[in-house]
Amino acid sequence: MTQAYDKENELIATEQYKIGDLLSRLWEAEETIRAIYSGEADAVVVNSPSGPRVYTLEGADHPYRVMVEQMHESTVTLDPKRLILYSNPQFAALIGAASESVAGSDFERFLAPADASLFAGLIEAAVAGGHSSGELHLRGANAATIPVRLSVTPLDVAGMQNLCVIASDLREQRRNETILKEERLSRLILEQAAEAIVVIDQQGVIVRRSESANLLARKPVLMEPFDGAFHLTASGIRLDTDRILTAMRVGEEITGVEAQMAHSGGATSALLVSASPLSSQGNELLGCVITLTDITERKRAEEALASQAEELARSNSDLQQFAYSASHDLREPLRQLAVFTELLQSRYQDKLAAEAGLLIEHAVSSAHRMEGLLKDLLAYTQAADAPQGPAAYTDANEVCRKTVATFEAKIAQSGARIDCDPLPVLAIHEVHLTQLFQNLIGNALKYCGLEPPHVHISAERSDGLWKLTVADNGIGIDPAYKNQVFGIFQRLHGGGKYSGSGIGLAICQKIVQRYGGRIWVESELGRGSRFMFTLPEKKNEAR
Amino acid sequence: MKRDNLEQLSLLVVEDSPADVFLVREALKEEGLSCHLKIADDGEKAINILDDVDAGGQDAPNLLLVDLNVPRQNGEHVLERLRRSPRCGKTPVVMMSTSDTAAERKRAFELGATEYFCKPSTLAEFMQLGKLVRVLLEQRHGTAA
Repeated sequence: MTQAYDKENELIATEQYKIGDLLSRLWEAEETIRAIYSGEADAVVVNSPSGPRVYTLEGADHPYRVMVEQMHESTVTLDPKRLILYSNPQFAALIGAASESVAGSDFERFLAPADASLFAGLIEAAVAGGHSSGELHLRGANAATIPVRLSVTPLDVAGMQNLCVIASDLREQRRNETILKEERLSRLILEQAAEAIVVIDQQGVIVRRSESANLLARKPVLMEPFDGAFHLTASGIRLDTDRILTAMRVGEEITGVEAQMAHSGGATSALLVSASPLSSQGNELLGCVITLTDITERKRAEEALASQAEELARSNSDLQQFAYSASHDLREPLRQLAVFTELLQSRYQDKLAAEAGLLIEHAVSSAHRMEGLLKDLLAYTQAADAPQGPAAYTDANEVCRKTVATFEAKIAQSGARIDCDPLPVLAIHEVHLTQLFQNLIGNALKYCGLEPPHVHISAERSDGLWKLTVADNGIGIDPAYKNQVFGIFQRLHGGGKYSGSGIGLAICQKIVQRYGGRIWVESELGRGSRFMFTLPEKKNEAR
Repeated sequence: MKRDNLEQLSLLVVEDSPADVFLVREALKEEGLSCHLKIADDGEKAINILDDVDAGGQDAPNLLLVDLNVPRQNGEHVLERLRRSPRCGKTPVVMMSTSDTAAERKRAFELGATEYFCKPSTLAEFMQLGKLVRVLLEQRHGTAA
């Protein structure tokens, strides 16, 4: 029993010793790792069957450290809180910061704010998948954004989840892409240009061309001599590369020169030709860019428009001539009819029944009325004709005063009052302004109610126009007829109550329209009328 | 009706409308003028007469009544030809027209018309033509009652 107990105690003592030994070796190992980790140890001595061997830590780390310091890419290591533990000089240079200020900074400080969530995603992906990469922007000095490709790799160091981040600068690549894009764009612009554009060299050979140039020449023109592809003449003289390049050399401009292009088969195109020189930096002429704008269609349209305008003018003049002849030539037989009817009456008065005299009177008065209408029609057709002499400015005060004077008798008879505000000088022929006042003031006096007529003439200016108003206190016009009153022979009153043929306002409208103005009336029955017309302040060519 | 020594005078009437020739005769008759009337119903005939006068083929008219709007050669041409005539270039001329535009009037006087008569549409006014002719003839040939 005792023997067995002693054996057990001995075993326990042995195991306890072993445990003590193991604990002491574990402490030693832990201490070594701590020293390595904290940088206190530069080398480790390991006992081997052939004796102790020294392993320098520097020997293992050095090549990688050098590689990291010298490599092209920028790199940093981050601790789990994204604080920069280490940065190589390239990273500091990339973001334009001093190396010593980088370590210890939050990495986000160097990240474009908009890309913060993108970066968080990259880290998440790296932790989950062992590696991730993506393009985002760093924030450099002066808030410049630097496009970079970031590669993120988790680094498990002594139980700490650190990260290794490598940033590749994409600026150069982006620049190249931009240049490439611009070049492609330029080429596209040239190719897609609606105008035919060609670039010729000093020998007159086409070295670049737009697609439209091929269409215009009706064949591929690249590397062809310009003169063979485009047979141009301007003002009857050949417009060839000799002439164009000579012009470029002496600094003569070729801009929008109208030229004819002869196609094989006899057809021609109308073109506008422009050329700009292409010079080297040493100012030597390398060639030029020639733009050929096809204006054949435009010219055709212009010609069509011009011929339409001519046609219209002719038909207008025909119409005018017709109206003139109708009113002029019809008057002659009518006049004779009236005179002979009277002659009949005077010659045979004694031999005719009493009623015959009345019938003859009606016939004569009808003939006179018709003659009056024809006279008015003639006046209307001639109303807006340009009087001789240049278009002039006319003092409206003077014309108004003279016109009012012609109504002197009527004014005295009706007890009318005429007030005339100060009026402007108007860009209108005196004879036309006289006609306007004569008709408008005449109407104001004629269409009066029971009260004596009161006419007020005034003027106001706005937006480059003069507006003249002739207002009265007369019988007014039913607004339903406010446009009709300006028609030819439009009358609102029958039964001979108010004389006139209804041509006056039509003449006024024709005159005002000739000067680019407008005439209208504001009125209510029994409340007077306000006739207004506008005339441009400045003289413009009569229509 | 008045009678006087103007009756042996001769008038050239250039007028294509027979109705107006009739009225001209009526107006002269009304004024008691029984002059000899030579009628040309177009401008060419009138010019031929003037050519013949200048060639001594016939007597010169003492007064012309010329409608502006006659066929072939219009009244203006007749007036121009008359004013170039060595024998009767100073003869009084009454230009006649239905229309009465200022331009026509002005042109007629520029070409040497003595008077311008706008053909009226009332009998009384038309008869005034006779008076006008009398005044012009008396100015040139004197009165003899």
